[in-house]
Amino acid sequence: MVGPIYIIAIALGTAFSLGFFKNANRNISFSLMFLAMAFLTFISGQWLYAFLTQQQETIQIFTAGFKPPFSISLQMGFHEAVFLTMINSLGLLSAIYLFDHLREKGVNMMMVFMLLFMGLNVVVMTRDIFNLFVFLEISSIALVGLIILEKKQDAISSGFKYLIASGVISGILLIGIVATYYYSGSLYINDLISANLSLVKGGSVAVFLIMIAVILELKPFPANGWALDVYQSVNAGIGPIISGGIATASLFILYKLLPIGGDAWLLPIGITGVISFLGSNFLGIKQKSSNRILAYSSISQVGLLMIIMSLSTSLGDKFEFVFFSVLISQYLAKAGLFWIAGIINKDEIDDWNILKKSPGLIVLVGIFMFTLLGLPPFPAFYGKWELIMNLSQSGNFVWVGIILLGSLFEAIYLLRWFGKILIKQDNLEDLKIKFHKLIPVIFVSFAILLFSYLTAKWSGLIGIKYYIPFIIALLIFAFDFLPVFIKNIAAISTVAWYSYVLIYQTYIPENDILRIVFGSIFLIGAIIMLIPGFTFKGKRQGFYPLVILMFSGLAGLIEARTTFQFFFAWEIMTLASYLLIIRGKNAVKPSFNYILFSMAGAFTMFAGFGLAFAETGSISLNALADVLVYANWAYALIAIGFLVKIAAFGVHIWLPSSYAEADDDVTSMISAILIKSGVFGLIILMLSMSLKNAVSPNIPYVLGWIGAIGALIGNMMAIYQEDVKKLIAYSSIGIMGYILFALSMMSHMGWLTAFTYSIVHFLYKGLLFLAIAGVIYRTQTRNIYEMGGLIKRMPLSFISVLIGIITLAGMPPLAGFAGKWMFYNAVIMKGWYLQGAIVFFSGIVAFLYCFKLIHNIFLGPLKDNHRKLKEASIWWLIPQFILIIGIMVISVYPKIVVEPIGQYLSMYFPNDGLVWDGTTASTRLGYWDATKIMTVFAGMFGVLFIILYSMSRKTQLVEQFNIVFQGERPERPETTHYAHNMYAPYNKALGFLTAPFITSAWKFVYESIHSISDQVRKFYTGNGQTYAMHIIIYVVVFYLFINGGF
Amino acid sequence: MENITLQNISLAIGILVILIGLWGLLTQKNLIKIVIGFALFDTGIHIVMVSIGYIKNRTAPIIDSAVDMNNASNLVVDPIPQALVLTAIVIGLGITALMLSYVLKMYQKKKSLDITNYKDLKW
Amino acid sequence: MVKNSFIFLVLIGLAAILLNLFAGFNGSTELGTIAAHYASKGIEEVGSANLVTSVVVSYRGLDTLGEVTILFLSAAIIGFFLKVDNTDNKNRQLKYTSEILNTASQVLVPIMLLFGAYVFINGHLSPGGGFQGGAIIASGLVLMFIAQPKKEMGHKMINIVESVSGVSFVLLGVAGILFASGFLDNKILSLGKFGTLFSAGIIPIIYILVGLKVGSELTGIALSLKENQNEA
Repeated sequence: MVGPIYIIAIALGTAFSLGFFKNANRNISFSLMFLAMAFLTFISGQWLYAFLTQQQETIQIFTAGFKPPFSISLQMGFHEAVFLTMINSLGLLSAIYLFDHLREKGVNMMMVFMLLFMGLNVVVMTRDIFNLFVFLEISSIALVGLIILEKKQDAISSGFKYLIASGVISGILLIGIVATYYYSGSLYINDLISANLSLVKGGSVAVFLIMIAVILELKPFPANGWALDVYQSVNAGIGPIISGGIATASLFILYKLLPIGGDAWLLPIGITGVISFLGSNFLGIKQKSSNRILAYSSISQVGLLMIIMSLSTSLGDKFEFVFFSVLISQYLAKAGLFWIAGIINKDEIDDWNILKKSPGLIVLVGIFMFTLLGLPPFPAFYGKWELIMNLSQSGNFVWVGIILLGSLFEAIYLLRWFGKILIKQDNLEDLKIKFHKLIPVIFVSFAILLFSYLTAKWSGLIGIKYYIPFIIALLIFAFDFLPVFIKNIAAISTVAWYSYVLIYQTYIPENDILRIVFGSIFLIGAIIMLIPGFTFKGKRQGFYPLVILMFSGLAGLIEARTTFQFFFAWEIMTLASYLLIIRGKNAVKPSFNYILFSMAGAFTMFAGFGLAFAETGSISLNALADVLVYANWAYALIAIGFLVKIAAFGVHIWLPSSYAEADDDVTSMISAILIKSGVFGLIILMLSMSLKNAVSPNIPYVLGWIGAIGALIGNMMAIYQEDVKKLIAYSSIGIMGYILFALSMMSHMGWLTAFTYSIVHFLYKGLLFLAIAGVIYRTQTRNIYEMGGLIKRMPLSFISVLIGIITLAGMPPLAGFAGKWMFYNAVIMKGWYLQGAIVFFSGIVAFLYCFKLIHNIFLGPLKDNHRKLKEASIWWLIPQFILIIGIMVISVYPKIVVEPIGQYLSMYFPNDGLVWDGTTASTRLGYWDATKIMTVFAGMFGVLFIILYSMSRKTQLVEQFNIVFQGERPERPETTHYAHNMYAPYNKALGFLTAPFITSAWKFVYESIHSISDQVRKFYTGNGQTYAMHIIIYVVVFYLFINGGF
Repeated sequence: MENITLQNISLAIGILVILIGLWGLLTQKNLIKIVIGFALFDTGIHIVMVSIGYIKNRTAPIIDSAVDMNNASNLVVDPIPQALVLTAIVIGLGITALMLSYVLKMYQKKKSLDITNYKDLKW
Repeated sequence: MVKNSFIFLVLIGLAAILLNLFAGFNGSTELGTIAAHYASKGIEEVGSANLVTSVVVSYRGLDTLGEVTILFLSAAIIGFFLKVDNTDNKNRQLKYTSEILNTASQVLVPIMLLFGAYVFINGHLSPGGGFQGGAIIASGLVLMFIAQPKKEMGHKMINIVESVSGVSFVLLGVAGILFASGFLDNKILSLGKFGTLFSAGIIPIIYILVGLKVGSELTGIALSLKENQNEA
């Protein structure tokens, strides 16, 4: 193997000899530099390989022919090899990326580039503290050179700020080093570690100065204004070198020197990390420049890594896993984003929608951002999981809270940025992409995918089965050039196959009713909802991989056996659904609301799982039942995650506009299927936790109220909507309120209701959205008052909507009534009369919007421009009629569904169940026979139909267009339409109930965060002197903090 | 009074120069003066380094007629801080030269030496 | 004013930290183990009469390589940063230099160059060394610029000296791996007779290289600054 010392020799030799080529062809000098960089990468890579495979021992390299401490020695061990490989491969990729810049600027910059990486290499390897100082200076001076790669005014002034700040920091380091030498008589790091300087008077201060200087090199918040300005002003090709190269090496310095400070330094470093993580992310949310956002994000990630480092002892053998998964993800993703920023060459994130021109890059941006956010399946997810679990276990709940809050802030600015890319805009400029700039970006994205796989394997948390959906998604993505028709068939058959495996082969034999019911809703529902996809023309790029991921996430929830698997699937599903929603025409803002609420919910869930783990030490889902001490907290935190997903009252504001703006078939998927994941989650949670006495009964009681209010408000809001999709969306909030209310009753009948409602809601909500989608597809409008009289044009859709609303309204004879009947029974048995009354009342409100749907869309006069409309496409109708059949079957024979569920629930709630006698179900309050009712209804309907039909012969037909407007033509004719603002009188009476105070409240929170962030960031004055001042204040305050005085 | 030895005096002077340099660095508005402040700060550190290596009544670490080769370790001052200070001086020189060239460029672009005029980027 | 008093307070805080740092300082009385090893074994191991030189060039040779690199870097950056178009140079208005300076420089410059060379060649025997010698050489050349501003001096020569000496330094280091026990090992040449010019292994060679390199780099920096003057 090539010895590590050759890294120095080759890098320096190349840099020095580049001087010969000053006037020669720059391609030659660039090739020389590139070869040297490649050789550096090769050397470090082969050592890494040796450490990974051949059980290579750590080696020491002596210089000058003497042993340490008399001479400077280097060390090459596993950690060194990892860091060096990271740094050098970054150098190689950066060289490719900067190819044209370096060539244009000439040999001097190539030397500087080369020396920067040489410096970092020695910094990582050296075991001599003064040598470390010298080579650290080399790197920072080289950076000063690269800052002015483009001699822009702001780059020059930020370079000066950097010089002052790093000058002060290295001065502090130097004082620390000489003092350390004085107290220990050595500069060899191993000697310093064994010298136990902290015990010597003055020696502890020397250690303090070294440690604080190293911490300052990591640019901790808030003593980092200089670094932020540098990040913002440099060429985007330099950004990765700072965040992935210098910051990585600085982290290694901290890691290397930490033993000198000893364990006493762990806590201060952790606190520094926490402040950095939270502070940077908090200030990041107000930023508009892409480079500056990345700067804040880099600093926050370094903060996170400092936190992890401070926990090295308590993380034990998981430390390396957590540290490297977070470090490498941040290193790769940050580099990718910086490079893409350079390709786009637009500093304002508002201008990033130029990327619309190259969708491939958008996919890459997505991968990078989700990697940064630590979403699955990307590596940092696993690391963050272990971190939170560990922090919880050691009782650091405040830290957990802070980390999750900081992550949420990070999500705000990264996802908003992502959304801005997708905003549609005409007349975009062309995006010129140089090929050599694309190579590194593609390389890191592949590296991320590979590393994701490796981390998943390394983590041992999930099995090979979990990769399958990703492989399928990737396959479909690879074949994205195929037409929709083929891809749709592929997607349907995949889901069909999987539902066969999951439901028929696994859960039906196990008779696990809960999983059969929800598995069917998720997967068979998926098949039904995919059918309309056949109407789409073209390629629908990117749609099918996401659909597969979303449904695999849902299937993953069903299959999850541990909290980790559950959370993994949950995040996959959330992420994929977010990306599906954002594909809608104006869906950028609504989907942002959706993902923010979902992330916040997921984080509370995360914290809840952490609490559960803290107590039981197990990540099994069943172990949730053993949580006793933290039961209330864990329960509430986990429940919040599910409540967000079912859009419970208070966290419901994301739902209406997300549903409205998503593509029509996506809306059907999320409203009929996805939303049930929250119900499923709540059932899992309640089954394992609520049945024990550990959880206070007050929590279900509160949940019951939330459900009741949600039912009322959702339905109230629905009746005023002019947008038909919003109307159905609000009605979903209402129905989810029922289900939540039913679940929180914690009784047999309540749960039976909830299960039945879940199934029935799936059927009719899917039906309604599909039917309405078919109508919207034809009429090209979502405003109800622009429709009307469509019964003649679209009779089949009319039948669907009719059946849908009858079921929704819970009127006999259809299945909705079954739910309602059980619901009444449950409420009366439970004795929640007040809440029950609210829910009953909201049921009546539901009639109003049901009427609106059927009347305003299908009855009345036909609009002029709709006279030639055709019935909805067959691909919209087929799934509708499948659902109608489902409704009919359950309406006539509810027993086939309700009885097994009842039996299942008897395991948990043995009392007060339904008693079946033939087709008659009875409780102690009464009985109900759906089959009889249906027979009677059918008979009555038949009789009435015949009578009415015969009467209709006698009436005189009035043409639908036989309506004459008289008088003046109003400015907006539609406002005079009866369907416009239909329920205005009710609005006058009960409008206060629907005032958007929840929306205003959330808006207030959101805006306050932003304005506080805006105020706080003002201390970064932009003046280099102030930044130097911050550094010295930081030192003094830190000293006071550590020593409690001077 | 016993404490007032040569090392202590030079050490105190070194610390004083460090502080004076920082004061200049932090309070002066003129870019050149800021650079001078930095140079003073650096020099202060060098004085501290040299004072640390000094041992009373000993001579420079060069083996010549004044220093017996076999008893050198009892006759000379510590050579290591001297070697370190040599390196540190060179580094300081490099940084100071860079700072001055930055100042020169900044002045050429904006015709101002006042640091408060260079807040292009902030927040 | 408020701001300045705040700065004053913070600096007092820093002063307190520094005082604490040296609270245990009462002047060394003995050399530490490493320093004592250098003092007693240095001659035997390295062969340089100037112990500082043996530390700088041999024991801590890697630092010196880094140090040279820093100067090289600064020179490269400044050279890039302050590069001016050649066309501008022709129109420069230069001030008249005094007769005294002119004449004196003609006498002094050769002596300074010679003295610089003496200092770095004898770095292992007497106070001095590559850096000091290089700085003296550079001062001589700077004096020449000042005295004869019109005299053009290209960067080309400087670059070549810089590169040759730098590459040779690295190659000598590598030779240490190949022919002795490690990078920058001094013993690839025999240590020679103590106290003579040709002794102390490769130290004199390295110091010559360092001297040339430092001299050319400092000159390069000065030259860049000089060329940039007219733009100010």
